[in-house]
Amino acid sequence: MIAFEHVGKRYGGRFEALAHLNFRVARGEMVFLTGHSGAGKSSLLRLVMRLEKPSRGRVVVAGHDIAQLHASQVPFYRRQIGVVFQDHQLLFDRSIFHNVSLPLEIQGVEPREAARRVRAALDKVGLLHREKALPIELSGGEQQRVGIARAVVNKPALLLADEPTGNLDPQLSADIMALFEDFNRIGTTVMIASHDLALIARLRHRILRLSDGRLVADEGAV
Amino acid sequence: MKSSATPKRRQGAALKTPRKSAVKPAVDKAPQRGARSQQTRFSSRLRAWGRHHRSMAWDSFQRLIRYPLGNLLTMLAIAIALVLPAALWLTLDSARLLDAELDESATLTVYLELSADDAQSLRIEEAVNAEPDVLETQLISAEQGMAEFQQSLGLDDALAGLESNPLPISMVVRPESVDPVAMQQLAARLEALAGVDEVRLDLAWVERLRNLAELGRRVALALGALFGLGVLLVVGNTIRLSVESRRREIEVVMLIGATHAFVRRPFLYSGAWYGLGGGLLALGLLGLGNHWLSLPVSALAASYGASFSLPQLDVTGSTILLSCSTLLGWLGAWLAVTRHLSSIRPR
Repeated sequence: MIAFEHVGKRYGGRFEALAHLNFRVARGEMVFLTGHSGAGKSSLLRLVMRLEKPSRGRVVVAGHDIAQLHASQVPFYRRQIGVVFQDHQLLFDRSIFHNVSLPLEIQGVEPREAARRVRAALDKVGLLHREKALPIELSGGEQQRVGIARAVVNKPALLLADEPTGNLDPQLSADIMALFEDFNRIGTTVMIASHDLALIARLRHRILRLSDGRLVADEGAV
Repeated sequence: MKSSATPKRRQGAALKTPRKSAVKPAVDKAPQRGARSQQTRFSSRLRAWGRHHRSMAWDSFQRLIRYPLGNLLTMLAIAIALVLPAALWLTLDSARLLDAELDESATLTVYLELSADDAQSLRIEEAVNAEPDVLETQLISAEQGMAEFQQSLGLDDALAGLESNPLPISMVVRPESVDPVAMQQLAARLEALAGVDEVRLDLAWVERLRNLAELGRRVALALGALFGLGVLLVVGNTIRLSVESRRREIEVVMLIGATHAFVRRPFLYSGAWYGLGGGLLALGLLGLGNHWLSLPVSALAASYGASFSLPQLDVTGSTILLSCSTLLGWLGAWLAVTRHLSSIRPR
């Protein structure tokens, strides 16, 4: 599903965020990306999302070198990736329902079908009863679950998450991770950046460890 | 977003498992079914596209009426920018009518000698008609001439006091060509005829008026362009602010795969609404101005014994004004958003 081939990323010509990255993630795999802050986890996810292009090497997703995508194709590429952000990136002037339906709205899904899928996604994260609420009325954990619902409403083949449990207590974090495992179980490829080592060690999935932009360990690979 | 109908674009974003249709099925009916599903996909895309347009038009309209005062001020600025060229255009329109009248009035007036009687005048008219450049002639008797004179000057009382008619018999000659040189030559030939006292042609006056009309036309055009640019800037600036205030939202939707067209759409509708509102206000202002000026203008005209009313925008004119203002608003928004979108990158 994802292949990094000799990938390097420099910012401003000097600072080397990522260097000599080589790894593959198979379709349907669940992978944790870990390392201290500044190790390059977010940069790596940004490359997969095609928010940035690598300075060196190739990032291949589903058989396509995504650096080759024309700017006009990038939105269509992004629609096939679900992304969960640490700061949720919710729109605070819209209800939970509308936040989750945003990707479907962008893709022009017929409203009745969209409503059905939004409710299914909200039900999955256990927030169906809050669909009319505004994000501000929700707790941090609930907001994160809305973010997850939005990322999966579209049934993406690839789900990325950047520190999804960043500001949550251990119990909530475990709940969130269990959700990701559920999606992985139905075939979604999941890649989660997290520095919560204790939590991810318990979950027994493959762990890619980054340090200073280099891959220093690849544990539990299948 | 739904512009993704081109295969090229979809190709690049083929994360999901390859479509089954790639494998040629053995069933005979399969190609038909494929074609049909392709068609329904296209029509559903088209429907989705139309749906988004409708919802954005409505959404931007609601945003507009949510802050009525500020938006009204923007529209008023647009209206004021539109009123001046529109008013000039109207003036020009009546000038164009005047111009047509001028062509009509490109005539020579032949004054016969005072001693000429009716029989003589008929002979002279025949001679004039024999000239090659003459289209038609019209004899005006001394009495007719006096009557016209009185009517046009409103000097009834003063003229009534005259004992005998001092006016000669005259003849209005319409030349074939209104070209100044040809007219002058014709005038010289007519003046040489026996019994003709004088030939008048007010060419300089005609030319001057024509030049004035041309000047007005150019001024109106330049002003129209200038104020059109003003509308563009007003809308552009307003839209720039609203893009800035919705920056976060734009970043988020771009993160989850919105195309530029999708992001641009609500702003384009806002711009078009501003333009339309400004156009309507401009129409109102023009009507108000017309109402305000019509009384003194008609009174003034009446004092000259003429009837004149201010030109008004007809249905066509109003439609043109509204379309232009809406288009300008849309264009201003397009420029502002496009310029601005390139600076917004999802974090």
